[in-house]
Amino acid sequence: MADQEFAYFLGCIMNNRYPGIEKSTRILFDKLGVGLKDMEGASCCPAPGVFGSFDRTTWASIAARNITIAEDQGNDIMTECNGCFGSLYETNHMLNEDEEMKEKINKVLAEVGREFKGEIKVRHFAEILYNDVGMDKLAEAVTKPLNLNVAVHYGCHFLKPSSEIDIDDPIKPTILDELVELTGAKSINYKDKMMCCGAGGGLRSRDLDVTADFTKEKLTNMREAGVDAIVNVCPFCHLQFDVGQVETNDKFGTDFEIPVFHLAQLFGLAMGLGGDELTLDAHQVCTDSAMEKCWDFSELDEITGGE
Amino acid sequence: MLGGGNDTEEQKETEEQQSETEMKEEGTETTEVKEEKTETAEKTEPEAKAEEPVKKEPVEEEKEDTQKTQEITKEKSESEEKTKESEKKPEVEEKPKTKRSDSMTLLEGREEDTLTRDNIDENFKQEVMDAGAETLALCFQCGTCTGACPSGRRTPYRIRQIVRKSVMGLKEQVISDDTLWMCTTCYECQERCPRGIKIVDIVKIARNYAAKAGYMGKAHKMVGSFVLKTGHAVPINPATQDLRKAVGLDELPPTTHSFPGALEEVQKITKSTGFDGLIGYNWEKGELE
Repeated sequence: MADQEFAYFLGCIMNNRYPGIEKSTRILFDKLGVGLKDMEGASCCPAPGVFGSFDRTTWASIAARNITIAEDQGNDIMTECNGCFGSLYETNHMLNEDEEMKEKINKVLAEVGREFKGEIKVRHFAEILYNDVGMDKLAEAVTKPLNLNVAVHYGCHFLKPSSEIDIDDPIKPTILDELVELTGAKSINYKDKMMCCGAGGGLRSRDLDVTADFTKEKLTNMREAGVDAIVNVCPFCHLQFDVGQVETNDKFGTDFEIPVFHLAQLFGLAMGLGGDELTLDAHQVCTDSAMEKCWDFSELDEITGGE
Repeated sequence: MLGGGNDTEEQKETEEQQSETEMKEEGTETTEVKEEKTETAEKTEPEAKAEEPVKKEPVEEEKEDTQKTQEITKEKSESEEKTKESEKKPEVEEKPKTKRSDSMTLLEGREEDTLTRDNIDENFKQEVMDAGAETLALCFQCGTCTGACPSGRRTPYRIRQIVRKSVMGLKEQVISDDTLWMCTTCYECQERCPRGIKIVDIVKIARNYAAKAGYMGKAHKMVGSFVLKTGHAVPINPATQDLRKAVGLDELPPTTHSFPGALEEVQKITKSTGFDGLIGYNWEKGELE
């Protein structure tokens, strides 16, 4: 376990907007004894909604270039963004399956002195925690259990298309709920839990009104379930629930104020990291309510632990 | 319409459109359909004006009746209309029913939607299949996809119809339709498809053709231009640099932001595939044309 190492793919939104997610991940993996090696010179995954929709060849070429950086390192890739996971996983899968496409992409890559070989796997942060690190070891990292009711948001590209990815059941998964509950937090079921946040596929930049309408529905269902926070595994969903929550309030006159955490930040809290290290100040939606509650167990019945 | 497209027709008709069409059709029941069509354009303005106050009336019969009066006797003054309204009331309830059953009002005025061989691009289906969605031809139009689609719940986007039109080779209809861009690629349709069709691939391939034909959103081109300029769709900014520094991370992440040579590689790739030309990127100015 201790000698395991991953090529750490940063992407765009996490490192360029919410660095607390990256910080928390680095601390967590250090604690778990799993190495993270920077992928020097990696670029955008690239965004599936724009590049995949505009030109498949460009999309696959840039994604394949990122993959070759990890191939040079000899490491599997780890990303904690569903969008990046989607682009890199799908490209890796496609080029391994489709010899013709691989040839085409390698012709493009040859111009920058690279070659896709198909030697590594693309992995998602949450799935590495669950399958490689394992729940027992992960539980040891939790030093300050959390008292929070959270709405787990899986996002779309973490489990789907399931015919290619096969991490968990795409309709009724449990992997994230189990990971979240390891921190002491409680995963609260809510209506249409598996629904998209609305940001993907280029919709957020193409038509913000429609995107906000998706988000409003999700937020309404989450609030009805009475959650203290939203937990996601994708910085783009994270941004949509954070920035998009403010936009939704502006557009629809709603008053949502549900704090948003990436799973890495939730584990950061459960390791006792403060809001500053998790860059919670950078969030548009104030996280104070969740921060005040998460370590406060005074309301719970001492005998049953609140069950 | 040829088969399979009904769901758009039903759902695209928002309340507004629906009431408007119904009203028109009832009012012009004696005139020929073709005439009605040509007249529509001219009529629209005066009608719209006259309709405004009427629309707010809560009583159904009055609406229909007023509409009717306008169509038949436009020149008549308002006062006359009002007297007629009250006189006619008893007849109203019977007449519209007869008209509806006689003339299939829902199908009237749709001749312009009739498809001919000219609408069909024989190669399109094969092109989509060759581009990676070879499962396209398996579709039997059950509509499970549209039923699962969160975008279809709030927009006129109908994925079943896009699949059907792709099978039929209605390329221009598929790629020129703005709703093609309402898909968030959430895969709910694909996960539920009983035929195992890679529906999201079809959408993305259709979008590739749409992009090639120039149906690209300005905002999307902008996102593309950021990658050409910086290597990232969401590039770093000073505020985040400060945040990174504050938590002990490198101010610039070890990405293309820190490695100019790597950025050049990405730029070279986009030149090689022609992506720069596709979005109209001007390398000298460093922005979109």
